[in-house]
Amino acid sequence: MGSLYRSEEMRFCQLIVEKDAAFSAVSELGKLGIVQFKDLNPDVNSFQRMFVRDIRRYDELERKLRYLEGQINKDGILIGGKLNDGDFTVMPTAELNQLEATLTDLERDVKNMHESDTTLKRNYQELHEWENVLVKADEFFAGGVDGAAQEEFHVQEEGADFTREKDPVEYVVGVIKRERILAFERILWRACRHTAYVRTSEIDEPFENPDTGEHELKNVFIIFYKGDRLRTIVDKVCDGFKAKVFKNCPHTSRDRQAAASDVRARIQDMKTVLGQTREHRFRVLQAAGNNYNQWLKQIRMQKTVYHNLNLFTYDGIGRFFVAECWVPLADIDNVREALERGVEKTGSTVKPVLNVLETHETPPTFNRTNKFTAVFQGIVDSYGIATYLELNPAPYTIITFPFLFSCMFGDLGHGILMALCGLYLVLKEEKLKDVTGEIFTMFFGGRYIILLMGIFSIHAGFLYNDLFAKSFNIFGSSWVNPYNQTEMMSWMQTEIATEKEMLIEMDPYTSYRHELGPYPFGLDPIWNIAENKLNFMNSMKMKLSVIIGICQMTFGVVLSYQNYKARNSKIEIFTVFIPQMLFMGCIFIYLCLQIIIKWLFFWVEPATIFGQRYPGSNCAPSLLIGLINMFMFKERNVGFINGTAVDAEHPHGVSYDACYLGQWYPGQSFIEAILVLIAVACIPVMLFGKPIHFIMERKKARREAGQRIEVARHGAPDTSVHANVLSGEDGEIAINGIEQKGEHVGSAGGAEHHDEEFGDVMVHQAIHTIEYVLGCVSHTASYLRLWALSLAHAQLSEVLWHMVLTMSFEFEFPWAVRCIVLYVIFFIFAGLTFSILVLMEGLSAFLHALRLHWVEFQSKFYAGLGYPFQPYSFKSALTLAEST
Amino acid sequence: MGEFFFNIDHGYLEALIRGFKGGILTQSDYANLVQCETLEDLKLHIQSTDYGNFLANEPGAITVGVIDERLKEKLVTEFTHLRNNALEPLATFLDYITYAYMIDNIVLLITGTLHQRPIAELISKCHPLGSFEQMEAIHIASTPAELYNAVLVDTPLANYFVDCINEQDLDEMNVEIIRNTLYKAYIEDFYKFCENLGGKTAEVMCEILAFEADRRAIIITINSFDTELSKDDREKLYPRCGKLYPEGLVGLARADDYEQVKQVCEWYGDYKALFEGTGPNPGDKTLEDKFFEHEVKLNVHSYLHQFHFGVFYAFIKLKEQEMRNVIWIAECISQRHRSKIDNYIPIL
Repeated sequence: MGSLYRSEEMRFCQLIVEKDAAFSAVSELGKLGIVQFKDLNPDVNSFQRMFVRDIRRYDELERKLRYLEGQINKDGILIGGKLNDGDFTVMPTAELNQLEATLTDLERDVKNMHESDTTLKRNYQELHEWENVLVKADEFFAGGVDGAAQEEFHVQEEGADFTREKDPVEYVVGVIKRERILAFERILWRACRHTAYVRTSEIDEPFENPDTGEHELKNVFIIFYKGDRLRTIVDKVCDGFKAKVFKNCPHTSRDRQAAASDVRARIQDMKTVLGQTREHRFRVLQAAGNNYNQWLKQIRMQKTVYHNLNLFTYDGIGRFFVAECWVPLADIDNVREALERGVEKTGSTVKPVLNVLETHETPPTFNRTNKFTAVFQGIVDSYGIATYLELNPAPYTIITFPFLFSCMFGDLGHGILMALCGLYLVLKEEKLKDVTGEIFTMFFGGRYIILLMGIFSIHAGFLYNDLFAKSFNIFGSSWVNPYNQTEMMSWMQTEIATEKEMLIEMDPYTSYRHELGPYPFGLDPIWNIAENKLNFMNSMKMKLSVIIGICQMTFGVVLSYQNYKARNSKIEIFTVFIPQMLFMGCIFIYLCLQIIIKWLFFWVEPATIFGQRYPGSNCAPSLLIGLINMFMFKERNVGFINGTAVDAEHPHGVSYDACYLGQWYPGQSFIEAILVLIAVACIPVMLFGKPIHFIMERKKARREAGQRIEVARHGAPDTSVHANVLSGEDGEIAINGIEQKGEHVGSAGGAEHHDEEFGDVMVHQAIHTIEYVLGCVSHTASYLRLWALSLAHAQLSEVLWHMVLTMSFEFEFPWAVRCIVLYVIFFIFAGLTFSILVLMEGLSAFLHALRLHWVEFQSKFYAGLGYPFQPYSFKSALTLAEST
Repeated sequence: MGEFFFNIDHGYLEALIRGFKGGILTQSDYANLVQCETLEDLKLHIQSTDYGNFLANEPGAITVGVIDERLKEKLVTEFTHLRNNALEPLATFLDYITYAYMIDNIVLLITGTLHQRPIAELISKCHPLGSFEQMEAIHIASTPAELYNAVLVDTPLANYFVDCINEQDLDEMNVEIIRNTLYKAYIEDFYKFCENLGGKTAEVMCEILAFEADRRAIIITINSFDTELSKDDREKLYPRCGKLYPEGLVGLARADDYEQVKQVCEWYGDYKALFEGTGPNPGDKTLEDKFFEHEVKLNVHSYLHQFHFGVFYAFIKLKEQEMRNVIWIAECISQRHRSKIDNYIPIL
């Protein structure tokens, strides 16, 4: 198990395996799933590759399976088993050939069955139509349709100028699809010059189309016409509209009824036959359905193997395959074993070769994750895949992400709800794994992060002393009521008299019991009922946000040191890391220290702080203006008290006018001036340090190159000898892959060493410096979102509590009614709490935490320019097949 | 102003059509396609393009016919989706596109019936974009008047047909005349429709339709030499909305051979260039190919503008050209006639 600290070391390996053993060896690697092959034939079209024939064979097999699947689904049979069942044994070739034969037979059988079924159904449908035609025709004639037609023709002939020859009135009956009936009638009417007499009647039950299985509605029609010419027209129209005409409709009612009963008997026979064939078909398809997933699994796995074999190249005589691949250093032995295992299976005597090659290509980034760390790695990766061997922020994210989230989401109650949801998902992991649905899979994928966010929110809820906007007094508040009974009573009297709520003021000087010390854990519950709760909370949360933010950013800068160290880049440590730390320290860490010191020392009681008299809270130093003054190099009074004068009015001495702006520790102006100067001095170092170093390196390299040419002139033969040794190394097997490789490495190496221009370096460094310097300010401000969101969250939950739930306490109904009202309102409260406060607020806090990690934290050290390691494995191939 | 509100009604479809257009085969796709040895290779390669698995479920060996059918099917699926989601006036615009196919289908059916072919066989050959309800009853008609009264009177083509109603009977010559008369009326109507739509649509579409009209006029003239078609009748067939109208058409009406046609077209910059590259020598392109290339160019250019309907017309035309190309390549492969395989019209 590799660590998450950095991505794993990768090795570029060359793999040589005998042609006959290649399939077996590569399929063993597929089981292992830790090898990423490089395409050695990038210029070859997909249809010109080595194994295109095999791939086509599997495509054909898949097509057959798809056909079967369609048929199986059509019959409503469930497909048994799972595609990805954890067993990746590849079927031997003989069995595969057998499978191919089976599938071919099966497809033919099913097709035949389908065809005969269709024929049967068509016959059945025809009979059915015939029956309907007979019945409807009978109805037509019973309704006197022929008489009506006669009359119609008669009227028309009278209207016409010429007398036609007395053709007998003829008629046809037939069946046509219902949606075409309108157009059909219209065309007939036009084509026959208004002399055809049409009647239709709807058939109630739908017909099943034997080819598509869809249900269709149809009508019976009867057309009366006169003369041969019209007959051809009517025939043609019926033909064109795919209407089925029944020529031999009996003329008398009795004959029709006899025919109908005859047809009904035949329909009965047909039904039995249809039932039998359907049953047979069902049995065959069910058997196929049970094996379907196994078959598909084999086909998919083998197809994947051939796809990867297509990336291989081969030696001149075609006996060996050569592949190049990325393998994690830790797994090279596993890969070697798997290869040998695969080759052994085929009984080949030639051992496979796995050489580690030198390359200038950047290796892929591979972080081994488990089900817990995967989601955190995912958060980092969706910003950008870490550059190879770059420090991976994921392990820190595991803690900082839920922590920052909880700062914004801090509420004990909501935290418990969220933790329970997360816990449920985690505990029921096995059962819920197969549930599909986009939104659910999203939550399920993040189950560990949800659990952690819940737990951290519980912690933050304790700190904020906030449970659905209520506080707990567990340890006993340090604040007491300083007023005596009579005073209180009189206030209450006036309160009743004036009908106005009165507020009592609690001067910390008298009502805070200093000897008890602050509330041991979290916020004193007294603040929950205080009128100035918001003022207090805002100040506290804002400062906390700044401290947390600066801690995280400083940590980010420290992490960047690890990257420079790993790269062995001293210049970056001196011109980037150290100035960055100084800049951060001189301004921002100093600010944080000020905040903490102010919290620790300055209180309402006069005291001596850092050797200066402090008269009370009106002189507590203002940090914000102090920070501005620090940059302005403004003259400030030393201490808070003007001289040593003490009079009766001011027992602690007379303070300056704006004593909160004074220097609150000795030498503050001097120290701050130095801090600002250091910070400003850091900027040019960051800006020009690296570019200057770059120029110097350049010059040095040029000088050295000049010297080397001198040397080369004296020892020219040396290089050619070297080349001979290189090419002779793999002399036993002449591999054309090697030569290609050589070229490739050459070109890649060339690109790598192609010197960056000085301008590029300068611009780069300028951008980085500006980004960092401005970023320190804007990112610190950005962390204030911790305060803002937690404020919004607390306010929303207070609104829900006061506006919704407490409403139900205030009704003056009989208790039974109040119970019901409370019962109903509680559900509204609970629903709103969960949907708005837990889900929506949770989502927004999540997004803000995400942003703080991606932008504010990772920008300090994370480049994220790598590309992911995508090993070929059966498991991922099958997962992909399952999802489609 | 129209551009401001274009997206309210047609934004989705325009986005969709531009996406579809992105899937049109590129030069490198063609370069790969012409290298194919067999139709199976073609299938394998075309699966890696936007066509996806459209041939994957074909059992057995595939033929050019199957490819053609599937290509059409795919186009029809896409077009139907567009048409079903279209609002006015785009819906009418899209209907106009189908009229051209309807005209072709009618002519195909009449010619087929003249040769006593069964109607079912003919129907299967019709372009699915131009199918209409009354289509299958066409063979009952034996004169143009009957055709009009019984079949076409309900279709949108009825208005175009009025001019041909006086033809005596349906023989091959008359069928051709009917086709061209219908087409003339159709193009002029479409042109007017686009003009009324105004804005960018008019700008882009009138350009394309004007070219289409002129191309027809030129082709009719060239094809009419050595036939019994009189010059007066010929002139009646010229669509009057192109750039050649009116002087050019007068010139064409007088032309007696190819050279005279060429002379008339010399006056027009666009067409002059087209005539110049052609010739009877092997290696030279035919005039028809030149026209196709110019059409492709116009259609591709329509994508440079936004907020207009021309992209829909252009897409159908480009797709049609692409289908012709694929079929051409497929035919060349299946008939082992590789020397001419490069004669497709690339879509830039």
